[in-house]
Amino acid sequence: MDVETVEARAGPREFGPGDDMPEEYRKAATRMIQFHANSEIMGAYLERPFIREAPSIDRKLAFSAKVQDEIGHGQLLYRAAEELGVKTREQMLDELARGEGKFLNCFHYPMERWEETPMIAFFVDGAAMRRQATLKRTSWEPYAHAMDKICFEEGFHIKHGESILRELMTGPRAVQERTQAAFEEWWPRILQFFGPTDDQSTHHDFSAAVGLKTMTNDALRQAFLNAYVPKARQYGLELPDEPRVYRDAETDRWVVEQDDLDWDEFWTVAKNDYDGSHVQIGKRERTQEAVEWVRDAIESPGQGGVTPAAADD
Amino acid sequence: MRWEVFRQDKKKDYHTYVGTVHAPNAELAKQYAEVQHGRRKPTNSLWIVPKDAVETVYADDPGVEFGGTTQKDYRWATAYSTDETFAEEIEASQREQEEAERDIAEADR
Ligand SMILES: [Fe+2]
Repeated sequence: MDVETVEARAGPREFGPGDDMPEEYRKAATRMIQFHANSEIMGAYLERPFIREAPSIDRKLAFSAKVQDEIGHGQLLYRAAEELGVKTREQMLDELARGEGKFLNCFHYPMERWEETPMIAFFVDGAAMRRQATLKRTSWEPYAHAMDKICFEEGFHIKHGESILRELMTGPRAVQERTQAAFEEWWPRILQFFGPTDDQSTHHDFSAAVGLKTMTNDALRQAFLNAYVPKARQYGLELPDEPRVYRDAETDRWVVEQDDLDWDEFWTVAKNDYDGSHVQIGKRERTQEAVEWVRDAIESPGQGGVTPAAADD
Repeated sequence: MRWEVFRQDKKKDYHTYVGTVHAPNAELAKQYAEVQHGRRKPTNSLWIVPKDAVETVYADDPGVEFGGTTQKDYRWATAYSTDETFAEEIEASQREQEEAERDIAEADR
């Protein structure tokens, strides 16, 4: 199939492994799905320590279930990407461990305190789910199928995240203040989730033309702010003075002042070159090595191999 | 030889199990599947799989704990009392989970 035919036929779930897709399509879809899969894995690594650090048994169970779900999402997506025939799952996992695989900006930052957890589990996951819901209509059918299952599970993640936020913001004064501080620290990164507003990304044009993406980053950002700014306020979180975010009465649209956000940092993150990038990728790399004996044992049972090591660090 | 048949109604739908055919080889299995399972209902495609290639796990196999057999409320959106109506995608997920819970309750009866 040539690109013109793909563009003419492009629609929800239109293409699958049985179709002969042009290289540009296969590469663009691989880039997009690999990024998504990597992000699921890297998000799980940020949240994993909170299985141990959760303040109650209910939160511990929920966090362990969530981390398990996220790793499962990664696996589903690597499968959907693999079917494009550009890269194998092993290649993509290797690229991630070597620091070549790209992933969501928010997952390049350390998350150390319990009060930070809803910043990911409610706001970042909420932003991600908004985008994922639109990808149920992507043109690569295996990707859309993965979204069916992912969106089914994700409702629990976000409601759990909101439940933590509510608990924190109805707790003692000091806890509320720490939560507000965490929100101010994470809010700019969350705003950057959908990229710069003047983004002239060339990827988008092609991905939209062939039906891989079904909504622009700008439309997604508007939908996200519509739903989540009132939520933040409902729980008593205050939007920091900067970055300036407001609703323009004339256009009835959200405006995010681009100059108030640190785009140098954003692009450094995008190159995996931020301090946090090295830390997070390093964790992933060490775990990948630590459990090599498990993969060996699965591939060739009874062969001995390297000494077992624990995956924790 | 036994073959399991999965039918897809329309393009983009999931394949679902519809039954079995007996045939000595793949060529005939495809023809029988077409005749037996693709004639009455709308069909876009069929998957025909040798019975021997299908692995099965039973709910009462030792060590197996399928969903619904253990107490795992914390895994469900429905277990959290926060509001889901503020975002359509969360509402949709909640609806799907409610439906799944009803299926589980039904299976228990
Ligand atoms: Fe996920």
